[in-house]
Amino acid sequence: MSACAWICLVLPLASAAAITIGGTSLSRRTAGYISTITTFGSFVAAIAAFAVMLGESPGDRPHTTTSWTWLEAGRYHFGLTLLTDQLSVMMMLIVAGVGGLIVAYSLGYMDGEDEERRYFAYMSLFVFSMLLLVQSGNLLLLLAGWGMVGLSSYLLIGFHHDRPSAVAAAKKAFVMNAFGDATLALALFLLIQHTGRLDYAGVFASSPHGGAVANLIALGLLGGAVAKSAQIPLHTWLPDAMEGPTPVSALIHAATMVTAGVYLIARTHVLFENAWFVADLAAALGAATLLMAGLIALVQVDIKRVIAYSTMSQIGYMFVGAAAGAYPNGMFHLMTHAFFKALLFLAAGIAIHALTGEQDIRKMRGLGRTMPRTRLAFLVGSLALVGIPPFAGFFSKDSILAAVLDRGAFGAVLFACGIVGAFLTGVYTFRLFFTVFGETGDVNPHLHGDREGPPSMVWTVGVLAVLSVVGGFLQFAPVWTPLTTWLEPVARPFAEASSWQEALASAAAVAVGAAGIAIAYALYVARTIPVPRTLPVLQHKFYWDEAYDLLFYRPADLVARYLNRFFEQPVIVGSIGEVTQGFRVGAGEVSRVQNGLVRSYALALAAGVAVLAVVFLVSR
Amino acid sequence: MANFLVWVVWVLAAFACIASALGVVSFRNPFFSALALIGNLASLAVLYLLLGGEFVAAGQVLVYGGAVMVMFLFVIAYLGDRTDEAPWAGGPSWQAVGTVLAAGAILAEVIVALALTTGGELTHEAQIARSFGSPASIGRLFLTDHLLAFEVTSIVLLVAAVGGVVLGAHARALEGDARA
Amino acid sequence: MHGPDVGWYLVLAALLFVTGALGVLVRRSPLIILLSVEIMLNGANLALIAFARRLGHEDGQVFAIAVMAIAASEVVVGLGLIVAMGRRHVELDVDKLRTLRG
Repeated sequence: MSACAWICLVLPLASAAAITIGGTSLSRRTAGYISTITTFGSFVAAIAAFAVMLGESPGDRPHTTTSWTWLEAGRYHFGLTLLTDQLSVMMMLIVAGVGGLIVAYSLGYMDGEDEERRYFAYMSLFVFSMLLLVQSGNLLLLLAGWGMVGLSSYLLIGFHHDRPSAVAAAKKAFVMNAFGDATLALALFLLIQHTGRLDYAGVFASSPHGGAVANLIALGLLGGAVAKSAQIPLHTWLPDAMEGPTPVSALIHAATMVTAGVYLIARTHVLFENAWFVADLAAALGAATLLMAGLIALVQVDIKRVIAYSTMSQIGYMFVGAAAGAYPNGMFHLMTHAFFKALLFLAAGIAIHALTGEQDIRKMRGLGRTMPRTRLAFLVGSLALVGIPPFAGFFSKDSILAAVLDRGAFGAVLFACGIVGAFLTGVYTFRLFFTVFGETGDVNPHLHGDREGPPSMVWTVGVLAVLSVVGGFLQFAPVWTPLTTWLEPVARPFAEASSWQEALASAAAVAVGAAGIAIAYALYVARTIPVPRTLPVLQHKFYWDEAYDLLFYRPADLVARYLNRFFEQPVIVGSIGEVTQGFRVGAGEVSRVQNGLVRSYALALAAGVAVLAVVFLVSR
Repeated sequence: MANFLVWVVWVLAAFACIASALGVVSFRNPFFSALALIGNLASLAVLYLLLGGEFVAAGQVLVYGGAVMVMFLFVIAYLGDRTDEAPWAGGPSWQAVGTVLAAGAILAEVIVALALTTGGELTHEAQIARSFGSPASIGRLFLTDHLLAFEVTSIVLLVAAVGGVVLGAHARALEGDARA
Repeated sequence: MHGPDVGWYLVLAALLFVTGALGVLVRRSPLIILLSVEIMLNGANLALIAFARRLGHEDGQVFAIAVMAIAASEVVVGLGLIVAMGRRHVELDVDKLRTLRG
């Protein structure tokens, strides 16, 4: 069991190292194959671990394995500990599985790229970091994985480093994530101070209940989760992160990294349950984000940005679920979202690849005629996203909405937000579908013979489409709940819907979703309703970027300029000249001693003798 | 009575010694300086006699006065009249002042050292035999206790003689070229 | 016979030494400087002889003879240099010989 865990973790790291060391002696294809095979190898190891776990009784399932002590300082003791339990093996399967599919897709998408090897090395590094995050047995190792996924994200967003917009987007993502990392670290400091440990069992047992400290700890964790998962207020980096290649957007910014925040909340749910104020805050942030993102997605014209805002919105759902206490529901939505969001991104990637990089939907009209299979895949993904049965999203999203009804008045507000969000999801998703993959339009894609894309791209999308159809059947609350049962020992929900709440939620969600689709049809296909004018506030994404620029960037820039003018230039740069001048003058003065006169030297000798005599006399 | 005489001789010899030393340092004409040095050597020989160093006194007069000073006078005569203008002038401004200070300091320190270490008590302690300072005893010491010093000194003298010849030979060779 | 204590001789030797040092440091002609060096050596010799008398054995006198021999050798070489300088019509002024100037 521990062998499976270590193999699963180490394979991608070995791949990244091998590609880096191999360098140009490996062909580009080979680098891609190494990366793909190791990622699927991790998936196999995860399946093996899962299979072993199935045979064990629920109490025995958590396995920790420590390779060596990492940090030892006084009475604090942190090891390189991996935890394989129900929650982590679920995440391992998702990360390695979906990751493997996406890396395989990249074989076709990035074919011919100059720096393809670097890409695959970074992708393997990312898979390793994410697996480290989910498999870590203590919060310190989780923080290490947390930081490394941030690094991989930076490296991959800025992959096309000759594009200034990509570089700027990478920096933005990294800086915002660093802020979250800082709050997370502060939470860990508090935990160490109050409990002296960072391993999960110890922390959950001895962390304070309620009170300022518990709230601060949870707030720090929430800060990290918000930054990583692109929720309000640290969300502005996600749309810009679409500058990276499409598979990167699919893997990192849809399926796995951005869901790390949800995983964190589910994993440390005890700490959030001890700080109900912060938990409610998290749910409120999730609800606000899902509404805001849905509204913004209505007016975006870049296909990837629409999907990005959609991701932001769906993660809002997951936050609502996890923070409200419905951990299995949140994790379930995480899983199905990974499937259909990756599907949407990769299908969009096929379209972008066929149109050699065009991403503006106004210039992508009419692909439906020439790329029917892609159209089908995108349709499947869209239906899953909106939550139409029997596709995956229906089961997971509705279960979240139902569960929040269990939380009283606050829950009712969350429910209302979720319903409105579902409506918006229907509208913007099918706006995208009808615009790009509709029948009308005159776009001319480059196809590979009669295939719509290279084989690696096509079969991976196919697999994801199948998963988006059947993935939802894993759980159909409250009738059939194997996932909740599976996760129960690790994350016991305290918000569970009764059957009538489930029925109500499902009915309402499907109804509004279908209404959204109908509206989109009317707007963009049948044209029975004229498209309304775009509101400037939506156009400017609620002015968040402008606000941050004013609040943070301008003052920092001013301070830097001021310091440069009044301190750096005169004092530091100027002092260099002063120092050299001083040395020169001093040396000039000292050189006057060497006047070449023998008598002066003899005088120096005599004076030295006089001084030495005094010294000898005194020292007696 | 004898004591008084010794004191008188001492005072005269000491006075002559210091006066001639000052003369060496002060005369403009090097010839006079050399003559003053001869006077210095003579008074020193008297002082050595008072201290019981007969052989040394004789050696001083013969070697120093008879050989070294003669050499000096030859060279001065050869080089001609090169009177030094303004002996105390020249050099950086701090040279003269610094010199006086340094010299005065050394003098003061020596006296202080003498006073401190000996407690002001430096009498002729040792009883000496009649053969003290005689050539026999000096010779015995040279050939037994201080043989190494004796031999090394003779080697140094040899080297100096060779050096002198070499320096003179170069000069002669040059002059030979100049004339030819 | 008595006479002055050894201490007086030592003071006299110190005076001689300092006078010689003064000459070395102040005069510009190499000849005079060499003569002043002789004065200093004689001062040292006097001190040696005085101590020999004080202690009662002639080691000091032996040392003084060695010093005299060395002084003679040094004078030979020094005068040889001065004669060489004179032949080359180099001005015999120590202040003018400043090739070691920094």
